[in-house]
Amino acid sequence: MDQIDPDHHDGTSDATPGGVEAKRRPGELGFAIFLLLASLGLLWSAYGISGFEALSAPGTVPMATTAVMVVTALIVVVKTARLPRISGETFSRDILPVVVLVFAAFLVAFGVALEPLGFLPTAALFLIAAIKILARRSWLWTLAVSLCSLALIWLIFRIVFTVLMPAGIVPEAEFIQFFRNLFSGAGE
Amino acid sequence: MTALWDFLTVFTQPQLLLLVGLGTFAGVYVGAIPGLSVTMAVSILISFTFSWDVYPAISLMIGIYMGGVYGGSRTAILLNIPGAPSAIATALDGYPLAKRGEAGQAIGVTTVMSFIGGFVGIGVLALAAPLVSDFALRFQPRDYMLLAVLGILLVGSLSQGSLVKGIFAGALGIAIGAVGRDPLTFTERFTFDLQIMTGGVSFIAVMIGMFGVSEALLQLHHVDKDAVRQKITRIVPSLSTVRKHLPLSLQTSTIGVVIGALPGTGGDIAALMAYDHAKRVTKNPERAFGDGAMEGLVAPETANNAAVGGAFIPMMTLGIPGDAVTAIMIGALFIHGLNPGPMLMIDQPDMFWFIVGALVTANIFMLIFGLTGIRLFTKIVEMPRSVLIPLIMLLSIVGAYAVNNSLTDVYWMLGFGVFGYFMRHYGYPLGPVILGVILSRLLDDNWRRAIISEREDFWRFMGGVVSSPLSLTLLIAVILIFVSQTPLWSRGKARLFRKKES
Repeated sequence: MDQIDPDHHDGTSDATPGGVEAKRRPGELGFAIFLLLASLGLLWSAYGISGFEALSAPGTVPMATTAVMVVTALIVVVKTARLPRISGETFSRDILPVVVLVFAAFLVAFGVALEPLGFLPTAALFLIAAIKILARRSWLWTLAVSLCSLALIWLIFRIVFTVLMPAGIVPEAEFIQFFRNLFSGAGE
Repeated sequence: MTALWDFLTVFTQPQLLLLVGLGTFAGVYVGAIPGLSVTMAVSILISFTFSWDVYPAISLMIGIYMGGVYGGSRTAILLNIPGAPSAIATALDGYPLAKRGEAGQAIGVTTVMSFIGGFVGIGVLALAAPLVSDFALRFQPRDYMLLAVLGILLVGSLSQGSLVKGIFAGALGIAIGAVGRDPLTFTERFTFDLQIMTGGVSFIAVMIGMFGVSEALLQLHHVDKDAVRQKITRIVPSLSTVRKHLPLSLQTSTIGVVIGALPGTGGDIAALMAYDHAKRVTKNPERAFGDGAMEGLVAPETANNAAVGGAFIPMMTLGIPGDAVTAIMIGALFIHGLNPGPMLMIDQPDMFWFIVGALVTANIFMLIFGLTGIRLFTKIVEMPRSVLIPLIMLLSIVGAYAVNNSLTDVYWMLGFGVFGYFMRHYGYPLGPVILGVILSRLLDDNWRRAIISEREDFWRFMGGVVSSPLSLTLLIAVILIFVSQTPLWSRGKARLFRKKES
């Protein structure tokens, strides 16, 4: 089968997973070693569940799967270590550029702020900051696009899907009730 | 007679009809917009529709699935960027056609071919599933176990990636699925004595992380890629074009159904194999493959839509997902208190015929939306990634939070998102992880049931496997996959062929 490589060797699907054939990408060996160590840790933990007590014990399948993980991770480490390094790629440019780190940090901050601050203010801050960084357009454009899309998302999820998000500092329920009263008042 | 009535459920209830239509419409765009995938959309949707009834929730998901598998072809043709994984092969000949100014014709042919492929898949589903489920009643626990293992292995072995990494991913999924209290003995597994781990890891958080957040993070690499405008003319293809490619389309539909029906492998793999097949059987194409051959469009597009119907066969009859999207749908059925498997087909045949009906409806909607609305389409697809990526991230967070109203799930999702991001960079497939998570319980339960019924004797268990034709076939299939990846296999093959030549 032909090797088809859509975008930058990053796996878009299971049919064409990322990576570069017969070459080692920056950080690939480190990741493989990390997986091996994590698998060993999990195997130890699985052994602790019920040891070699019985074939039907709760720990048997976990031990078998983590053993498979250790073996496959070891094969991957050995194979990866033998490959020549790919030329022209660096870790900080091709694998983990600053923008990815910034966004990962944004997402964690989103999680931290979600409950105390509430969904609407957190999401608004996130969208404004994210779109400003990515699009590099004027503040007016950024504010308009992010607030409009937030309003749309909130309407769809709160009204159509009735998803409850933490209200935080915004009196969301009172706000909706106000509109309900308005409409029911008009209907009478 | 009741089957027919159940089949027509969608047509008789305007609400369901509307939802399938809406889903298909949304699916075409989800599939078409690079960075949004069907797997992502369906996994986020689970968390939003879990308070709904089963029928409306499934209607919406099926619409998105059908539309999304097709929608990827459009951006593949117009922009040379496959909107969905299943359209990767479509770009190879679709984009050269668009560059010649024949984008309209290319879109028309893919639409009609997707429609034909879709129907072949649904037809096979309707005919085969009842037979398979009768047969499945005879399955022993060990057969389920072997099937689950086979499904996880198949993804790694049929794709272009490495099988070892596929096996690792599958095993990781099974381990993630085992986290929490063991349902039989209440022993804690992989909880590290942490309170929050005893409930297990929410599989929805894993899915949204792997398919939503990791994809959004990857797309950050391509923020500045511009969309290219294409002129689109007439799109409804002539009858003679369709008739000319009908034989090939039936062959590739068959490939699609079979690959779709194999546990674990879906439209993306089916499309690539069909493209390969078309290259082999088309002796004198009007244009060379890769240079705008119509056959190169027909093959992947029929196959990936046929794979949709195929993927439902193991899901409905065995409870084993046919691909990543059906894995997520099994999750949705679990949430609604249903247990896919042979008993579902017997206890609630209405569910099966309803799904077949919804698939047919979605396929018809796909044809309608595919041949119309092209102007609106070009506008929406030009939505800049700088807006799209933050929105995907926002939806992922809302989705992960909404299922259990818990922040823990959000953190799990972020963790798996970052992990999945690295997995993609280094060529580890993500599908086996999701399959592993979904199949973990089935695998564990059936292994324990099988080994207890053999009085804990491994050799008696193996004796049972060898003496049953079904179990033996499955075991041989599993072994073959392993052997086919070792140097032994290629050496043996080389020797065999040398003998023939001499």
